[in-house]
Amino acid sequence: MHNTAKRALTLLFFVAAFLAGVVILIVTFVMNSNTWATYSTNQHLYSKGNIISAGTVYDADNNILAKTENSVRIYNDDSTVRAATLHAVGDTEGCISTGVHSIFQAELTGYSLVNGVYYLKQNSVGNDITLTLKSDVCATAYSALNGKKGTVGVYNYKDGNIVCMVSSPSYDPENKPSAEIINSDEYEGVYINRFLSGLYTPGSTFKIISSAAALENLPDIYSRTFTCTGELEVKGSDRGVICNSVHGTLNFESALNHSCNFAFAQIAIDIGKTNMQKTVERLGLTSSYEVDRVKISKGIFDLSGSVDIDIGWAGIGQYTTQINPCMMLSVLGAIANNGVATKPYFVKSIINYAGVTTYSNSTDTVDEINMSPELSENLKSLMRSNVANYYGDYNFPGLTMCGKTGTAEVSNKKSTALFAGFSADEDFPYAVIVIVEDSGTSGYSTAIPIANKVLQSLR
Amino acid sequence: MRSLQKIKPFRWGIELILITIFQLISFTEVMLDAGENSSKFILIFFVFLVVEWAYTLLMRISIKQTSFELEFISFFLSGIGLSLVATLDSDFLADGTQTQASYAAKQLLYILAGLVCFMVLRWVIANTDRVAALRPPVAVISGAILAANIVLGQDINGAKNWITIGGFSFQPSEIVKVLFIFVGAATLDKLQTTRSVIKYIIFSVGCIGALFIMRDFGTAVVFFVTFLIITFMRSGDIRTILLICIAALVGAFLIIFFKPYVAERFSTYRHIWETPYGEGMQQTRVLIYSASGGLFGLGLGQGMLRETFAATTDLVFGMVCEEYGMIIAFAIIISFAAIVVYTVAGAKAARSSFYAIAACSAAGLLLVQLSLNVFGVTDLLPLTGVTLPFISRGGSSMISCWMLMAFIKSIDPRAYPKTLKETQALG
Repeated sequence: MHNTAKRALTLLFFVAAFLAGVVILIVTFVMNSNTWATYSTNQHLYSKGNIISAGTVYDADNNILAKTENSVRIYNDDSTVRAATLHAVGDTEGCISTGVHSIFQAELTGYSLVNGVYYLKQNSVGNDITLTLKSDVCATAYSALNGKKGTVGVYNYKDGNIVCMVSSPSYDPENKPSAEIINSDEYEGVYINRFLSGLYTPGSTFKIISSAAALENLPDIYSRTFTCTGELEVKGSDRGVICNSVHGTLNFESALNHSCNFAFAQIAIDIGKTNMQKTVERLGLTSSYEVDRVKISKGIFDLSGSVDIDIGWAGIGQYTTQINPCMMLSVLGAIANNGVATKPYFVKSIINYAGVTTYSNSTDTVDEINMSPELSENLKSLMRSNVANYYGDYNFPGLTMCGKTGTAEVSNKKSTALFAGFSADEDFPYAVIVIVEDSGTSGYSTAIPIANKVLQSLR
Repeated sequence: MRSLQKIKPFRWGIELILITIFQLISFTEVMLDAGENSSKFILIFFVFLVVEWAYTLLMRISIKQTSFELEFISFFLSGIGLSLVATLDSDFLADGTQTQASYAAKQLLYILAGLVCFMVLRWVIANTDRVAALRPPVAVISGAILAANIVLGQDINGAKNWITIGGFSFQPSEIVKVLFIFVGAATLDKLQTTRSVIKYIIFSVGCIGALFIMRDFGTAVVFFVTFLIITFMRSGDIRTILLICIAALVGAFLIIFFKPYVAERFSTYRHIWETPYGEGMQQTRVLIYSASGGLFGLGLGQGMLRETFAATTDLVFGMVCEEYGMIIAFAIIISFAAIVVYTVAGAKAARSSFYAIAACSAAGLLLVQLSLNVFGVTDLLPLTGVTLPFISRGGSSMISCWMLMAFIKSIDPRAYPKTLKETQALG
């Protein structure tokens, strides 16, 4: 009798194993329920792959970017705005995985772990999302790119609001091109938000970073002079680093003004690969962080196994160097904001069916970017000098701009035109990055006018 | 662990009232969902509630039974199943295509049949001499049923485990579950002679083998675990259990090696999201709609999983999550764990080791079957198509679950207050 009672205790192992399974089940549920519930075959939410009912997406000025009417998703009235904000808003088919339609799908449909899809079924409305984007500024940027591939990003470096985030190529979601067209070269990478997920050869815009490395590693940098002969010969290599011109004798500041490759290749080689690498990493350019749940791409700066000539090319933003536009913009923010990199975001708030704010973004900093106030001050005055003494303030009427242009050489394509800069005006704290792919023209002639147009439309 | 005798039973009156309130809410929801057709369900729900109360009062008065935990769990679960099945009827009614849908009425009949079988089996096993006398014929009957199944069985959804006689189809393996425990527990209690052990092993291998031939792998696993529990409860020999497990593993590998289609049936396991419109359809829908229900559910009749094949049978756990919500689903899961803990606590007080063995194997069987169902439809284990005890629609399963409860009930001396005094006098 007692034997069987004791043996019965072994059944408790079954119970323990069973309960362990239940715990695994609950954890799996909690972790995945968002994804499961918003899966496109959920007939509570979708009909033929389209969202039946979801909240409205507004821009910063309460313009409607997307809403649902009679089970149909309707976008902004203006076709340029639709294309310009497509990557931020997203499509209804889920091709654009970084838009709020995908990333905030659960919130838009009003789904929650606790209530499931109950409120959506009861009220037929989801939660509304307000973005920090200004649709008119985005439209201006998209038009200014004029069909060229590339990206324009503008953010307020004091509060973190991204006011402009445009990725080209784009399309009008209400007149989506046919599958054949969308798969052609013209639309290459159309579903990617180049601002968040793109990687670009930075060209001369990278001299901002090389300058930072020089200020940190070469104490006598301001007293150095460089005599540019048009080509820097490097020991151990037959070919040198070609300069864009024969600049003659320059100091550090004028070398940056003229974007002298000779001087900056020399500077990078003098700093050495270890210290170059350290500065680039300390400034966060090879790191990633999340912008509204989207992990931005990590930049590349890899000098392992490089020789002097490679370090020279890397110092002027060539070799294997790649930057992410959003990370670069945050670094510009740090330079403008006394060394503090305010974290960019584009989702301002989420308001539920009852009018209660369930999510709101607040100003945060990018921990991956470490910059001393002193370094930011020096870089700021160097970049101010670029615009004031070289590009000309007339390019940015009414603004106190600091910046650096770039014309990056890319294999199999024409050069990329870039501009990275910010306004130093207290009441206009915006940083901007403009990248135009396959342009074949300089950053000065192509990217600066776009930056100016976008900033002027913001004033 | 304290024996059941010393644990004060729950206050049955309050318990019954709480369960009734829960059921009244469920039934009201079903009626609201059915709208103008709701009158169809009044009688069904009324009969269910009357039977529930009548049974309790009858047992209370006639044999002065004080503990009703097992019956209440059974009624609680059956009521949930009945409500879900009824919403299916009202779907058909609203549809207009099948106005004579009568799933709920059938389900009610199954519950009543289950309760009657529960009471009969309780009476049968009350006398261990009777059990011993019945053992050989029951063993023969079990074998005959499974043999008939192999010969006459119909292939429904890949498993050949249904028999249809005169328009009435049932799953013989469900009934054999009860007989399997009846035979197993009795045999080992009688004599631990090599002969009787060998006979029992031959019987078990025969049953499990028959299930394999029918390709009802889920039920085969349920039988196998039950076999292990019975063997261990009687012998207490871990080495034997290990040997059996090793033999079973080798057997499983051989089967997969020689009959690759067996493994193929489980190829979607952990890959359900790769074929959401094909093989992974059922489980992905379970997960999607379970998550849609949230903690409190969307309300009876408001779900979408019901449109998926086998929603009220194999996938009913998903329907519970979607329409009743995660909290009730959790309560169901915990009910089965509670049954096993109850059994372990009660094993000591059992009047005969036959009751202890029968109760433990029945409780273990229910838990294993629940695990295979719940973890199967949620893709934590391979999907084997076993039913969710008491809740899945269907008669054979309902009746066998109630009968298994009779085995568990047998260990509780409080259930037989009249005989309790004699037992204590003897002990």
